[in-house]
Amino acid sequence: MDYRKCAQEIYDLVGKRENLVSAAHCATRLRLVTNDNSKVNVKKLENVDGVKGVFSSNGQLQIILGTGTVNKVYEEFLSISGMTAATKADVKAAAAAKQPLPFRMVKALGDVFVPILPAIVAAGLIMGLLEGMTKIWPDMANSGTYQIFHLFSNAAFVFLPILVAVSAARVFGGNIFLGAVIGMIMVHTDLVNAWSVAGMIENGQAIPQADVWFGLYKINMTGYQGHVIPVIIAVWFMCFIEKKLHKIIPEMIDLFVTPLVTVLLTGYLTLTIFGPIFSKLEEWVLVGVQWLITIPWGIGAALAALVYPLTVICGIHHMYNTVEIGMISNTGLNTWMPIASSANFAQGAACFAVALKTKDKKFKSMALPSSFSAFLGITEPAIFGVNLRLMRPLICGMIGGAVGAAVGSVFGIGATAYGVTGLFGFLITTRFALQYAIMLAVSFAVAFILSWILHKDKTDEDDGSAEASEDTSEDSPALPEITCEKGKVYAPIKGNVIPSAKIPDETFAAGVLGEGIGIEPSQGIVYAPFDGEISSTTDTKHAIGVSSPDGMELLIHVGVNTVAMNGDGFELFCAEGDKVKAGQKLMTFDIEKIKSAGYSTTTAVLVTNSDDYSELDIKEGVCEPLDCVVTCKE
Amino acid sequence: MKQFSYTITDPVGIHARPAGILVKAVKPFESTCKITKGDKTVDLRKLMALMGMGIKCGDTVQVTIEGPDEDTAAETIEKFFKDNL
Repeated sequence: MDYRKCAQEIYDLVGKRENLVSAAHCATRLRLVTNDNSKVNVKKLENVDGVKGVFSSNGQLQIILGTGTVNKVYEEFLSISGMTAATKADVKAAAAAKQPLPFRMVKALGDVFVPILPAIVAAGLIMGLLEGMTKIWPDMANSGTYQIFHLFSNAAFVFLPILVAVSAARVFGGNIFLGAVIGMIMVHTDLVNAWSVAGMIENGQAIPQADVWFGLYKINMTGYQGHVIPVIIAVWFMCFIEKKLHKIIPEMIDLFVTPLVTVLLTGYLTLTIFGPIFSKLEEWVLVGVQWLITIPWGIGAALAALVYPLTVICGIHHMYNTVEIGMISNTGLNTWMPIASSANFAQGAACFAVALKTKDKKFKSMALPSSFSAFLGITEPAIFGVNLRLMRPLICGMIGGAVGAAVGSVFGIGATAYGVTGLFGFLITTRFALQYAIMLAVSFAVAFILSWILHKDKTDEDDGSAEASEDTSEDSPALPEITCEKGKVYAPIKGNVIPSAKIPDETFAAGVLGEGIGIEPSQGIVYAPFDGEISSTTDTKHAIGVSSPDGMELLIHVGVNTVAMNGDGFELFCAEGDKVKAGQKLMTFDIEKIKSAGYSTTTAVLVTNSDDYSELDIKEGVCEPLDCVVTCKE
Repeated sequence: MKQFSYTITDPVGIHARPAGILVKAVKPFESTCKITKGDKTVDLRKLMALMGMGIKCGDTVQVTIEGPDEDTAAETIEKFFKDNL
């Protein structure tokens, strides 16, 4: 078979170089990301000699060539197209950018939530346990220790907007501290706590209001405790403004003008527009579900339970307390609680099924406690951390919840109080203990079984075991793409930046190898500091030279005297002559190993041709990968 | 043109630090200074290129110096090799 001819024909039929974003191959397939899949002539492509099949999936065009053939065609393809080899991760990232908006939004939501999961899992479990215990021993609520623990349990939820805002600012590429400020604004103590609102209305107290937009309308001065979506929208907007401003405002006044304008604009729009629109939506949802549950024969309950998890995603579920309070004062029986309980329990069950089935250890260790928290009635970790990201478990849980709620409604289960769901729900449904147990069992069974059947671990479904392990490297998420500016070095390592003169080694400190910075690493991954070319690597794997197209030469030397480690604990992901993009993983190193070998981990990042520049500006302090840390002036 | 051969005795070879000092030592001279190992030759002024050679202890290298001050340069650089590498 003529590989060159095959590659050439593929190249022509996919729309040549201008339609190609990246190319990679796996054991059997050539995987291409194109700018416009409609320009690809699939019919003709299938008829190319050597091509066994063509299809597109997840934004990738996959051309099946078969083992042994694909790599040879790939090489020819690269030489014809002049492209550089992309890793599969690159192809996936490029494909992700092409997914439809709703998918990207769900992905963003997951990216924002995953880093803060430990915080809310802890809080969720404490909260579930405490609430349950106070139902068993009501006196406990008066003890000082309980009050202190209670404080721990809801801190993460009361201030959830701050956590979400910080994480969102990181995901969307804004300043995380400005993000934190936006979060703080939304839960400021001068605003009425969102969780108190229901009670205040019940007691006939007025919610304070404020005139906005020169008296155009009034807003309720209420906070956004426990909210997620409005915070993410606000922070997304903030990052958008911040980046725009950085571009147009002269550097001299950038430092005070940009944050000022960003906070003012975002804060005001959040409290007067994004927030109130959201509150209005909440009210409608509330009216909607109250109407829903009046539908008889369990249908209404099933529908309400079906949408319940979606309202959790929007963060409006705490408003249901209003419904529950109303029910108890009218009939003495809270029939909303079984619906919520069933919905929550089912989400827990769906998550539990994933936790048991997945082979990804890291994912398992997160999914398991998340599901326990859900069984106790706190579903955020399970929904945001697992179910929503995979989508299928969320839907399975919704169905399970709906079936369970219908059962509960047919039994006529009602609670005598409100505030707990899940396992602790037994404590407030003592008259219906058996029925309540059946309801939970039904919702658990349905959700668990569906989720168990439908969940598939995300592997490359097509080419088997060989590559499955690659996707599990979640500890090094893909970095956002950045546009490199001339003369700038972007932090190759996460850690703390110090001037090179403070590196604990006289040669580096004296600037013999050039001026620059030292990074005290907090994570053992080296990313490419700009778009450029690898100019040197060593057999001992601990140092990399990178040169930029505009002539900057940079040496990244991990640790001091680590040449003596002879490569032990270091792994290289690049070779001399490779073209690299900023943020691409170049090397991993074992921080602990370097320390236990008795060497400093401080990594020298030096501009070896610093003599060519008149001045180097460095930014000291904590850095995330790809923060700009050195600016060279000519 | 001046030329000399030298076998590296420094246990870590011409790595970052020695390379740094070597480049610094070569910089003041006007002559072009080149180092050759096997079939690879690079400019001694280019730190990255020098490090990229991966010269190790026991490797024999040729240093070639050509230009107006080649005599003094060769002398200084050869001494540098003997003293430091």
